[in-house]
Amino acid sequence: MTETLTGAQILCRTLLEAGVDVIFGYPGGAIMPFYHALGDHPALRHILVRHEQAAAHAADGYARASGRVGVCVATSGPGATNLVTGLATAHMDSSPVVAITGQVPRAMIGRDAFQETDIVGITLPITKQNYLVQDVTELAGVVREALAVAQQGRPGPVLIDVPKDVQNQKTTYTPGAAARATLRDKNTQSLRGAPAAAPGVSASVEDGVREAARLIAAAERPLIMVGHGVIIGNAYAEVRALAEKTGIPVITTLLGISAFPDGHPLFLGMPGMHGEVRVNRAIQHADLIVGIGLRFDDRVTGNTAGFAPRARIVHIDLDRAEIGKNVPVTVGIVGDARDVTHRLAAVVQPRTCERWLAEIHDFTRPRAAAFRGDLAPETILASLYQATEGRCTIVTDVGQHQMWVAKLYPYREPNSHITSGGLGTMGFAVPAAMGVHLARPGETVWAISGDGGFQMNMAEIATMVQERLPVKMAIFNNGYLGMVRQWQQFFHGKRYSCTPIWSPDYVKLAEAYGIPGWRVKEAAELPDVVAQANDYSGPALVEFVIEQEANVYPMIPPGGSLSEPIETAPASAGD
Amino acid sequence: MPDSHTVAVLLDDALLTLNRAVGVLRRRNVPIERVALRPTATAGVSQLTFILKADAATADRVAQQFHKIVGVRDVVLAATEESTREVQS
Repeated sequence: MTETLTGAQILCRTLLEAGVDVIFGYPGGAIMPFYHALGDHPALRHILVRHEQAAAHAADGYARASGRVGVCVATSGPGATNLVTGLATAHMDSSPVVAITGQVPRAMIGRDAFQETDIVGITLPITKQNYLVQDVTELAGVVREALAVAQQGRPGPVLIDVPKDVQNQKTTYTPGAAARATLRDKNTQSLRGAPAAAPGVSASVEDGVREAARLIAAAERPLIMVGHGVIIGNAYAEVRALAEKTGIPVITTLLGISAFPDGHPLFLGMPGMHGEVRVNRAIQHADLIVGIGLRFDDRVTGNTAGFAPRARIVHIDLDRAEIGKNVPVTVGIVGDARDVTHRLAAVVQPRTCERWLAEIHDFTRPRAAAFRGDLAPETILASLYQATEGRCTIVTDVGQHQMWVAKLYPYREPNSHITSGGLGTMGFAVPAAMGVHLARPGETVWAISGDGGFQMNMAEIATMVQERLPVKMAIFNNGYLGMVRQWQQFFHGKRYSCTPIWSPDYVKLAEAYGIPGWRVKEAAELPDVVAQANDYSGPALVEFVIEQEANVYPMIPPGGSLSEPIETAPASAGD
Repeated sequence: MPDSHTVAVLLDDALLTLNRAVGVLRRRNVPIERVALRPTATAGVSQLTFILKADAATADRVAQQFHKIVGVRDVVLAATEESTREVQS
């Protein structure tokens, strides 16, 4: 049935029709018609954040936890530019976010009007697609297309900029009409006229799978490396089937964590800059790496010239542009992680890798005694695991705590670890955790941050209180921007330039926001406090006062080879 | 192995699509020798052509990025022949 609606009403209706039930935003002048219409659409729950950056991160967290599009809304100018970090984060980590921004009226565009900014131009390189809607008759089609583009193929963020007068314009609206254009899958197309230019990429999935199966049968030291693509593509069972049928050990990248159960006999851990020695050594000794849904990012490979020198690489990825981007591949298969892995698992010959597993076992080093005092990160994480029985989603920020959590927390449930990987966005955890909670309302969500990252977006505690979002916040407080300090210690002669960071009294801060807060200084206090915070019905905060100069070991220096980890603090000029 | 490759990108004749395509060249730090934009025989379709000083693998890596742009219709990659350079100059 066709109706006449305003642009603002069409925005609400198209979102609702697509199944969107929560949006994160902040009103302002150029987006006011939308907020006016929102009042007539109570099914669209709006979460009022304290800064637009948090809206983008929350939408991202919602998207990662639910697999559906996360939506954020902001006004023109500063509202829109504040979304940028969140969109860039979502872009790097392939997260389907749709941002709707108000724009100054069409007649004002280009005249440097109040709160005018070219947000479409600004976000060009950090969105999959973006739109400036100049005609209200196009709006419904654009929103439907944006929601589709964000999710299809390799997911990513999309921005829709809607001038204020377009929001007020009226047009006929037909519910449930098709998207503006029939979209092709932009990622998986192959090139024309590129004879020798695409080394390694198989002509078809069949060819690639057959060749990969042959390489797996012939390999003596094979590895499976899985990334975010396995989580996005819901390929857990397929990866596990492939690993168990072949006995090949599995490595998970930072964003691949929780794609394969910790504690499984074939689970090795995280590779790269802060990967365990045995994981990186396994890569350096491997003769075959089957990479599924990962980018071979520099934090994983170290210096690519020295990465996996003995290995042939089979790379399975949905995005054709990723294959051969960072490391040369022997076999590249363009396709969905779940589908391709399923087909590969079906055709591989059953085998075992007992000798190889024993060899990897011998690469294990005793964990360096990295922590002084008894409130070590591993002790904190053990008590968190105990209190939650491993059934919670952990959202981490960026820095030392992120690496400790990645390495030390035993993830049981698929997609229970959410973090900013590619962009490495400090301040991500607290707002993203709000989105995760809304995607999984019945489940416990812990946001773990350092004292630096927490202070970037701690204003969102107010959002949690106002919107009743029972996120549990943990702060690993060492009084430093710890990861930068660690680099200063290792590579800058221990000159701790601008890394000591003061914190407010977090217990009083919690009190100011009307939520419970605890400060833990000794391990003996852990079980009680963590259990109380975990069981509390609303948002709660726990500060863990940890050793000031603890380091994350081992560490591959930036640009270094995986074969040469730093395992103890180097003597430096400052010592 | 030719050290110069020509990439022709056929794309919608829309400012935003062109902007996005040119942005890829800048964003990916592509070593461009020459770049040109011209209309095609098909209404609404432009051709962005660029010559990059790079081996085949690099050229392929760059060309792949264009396929991901909504509004790009086709991408054709070829080793640059001397004759091609002549014609285009």
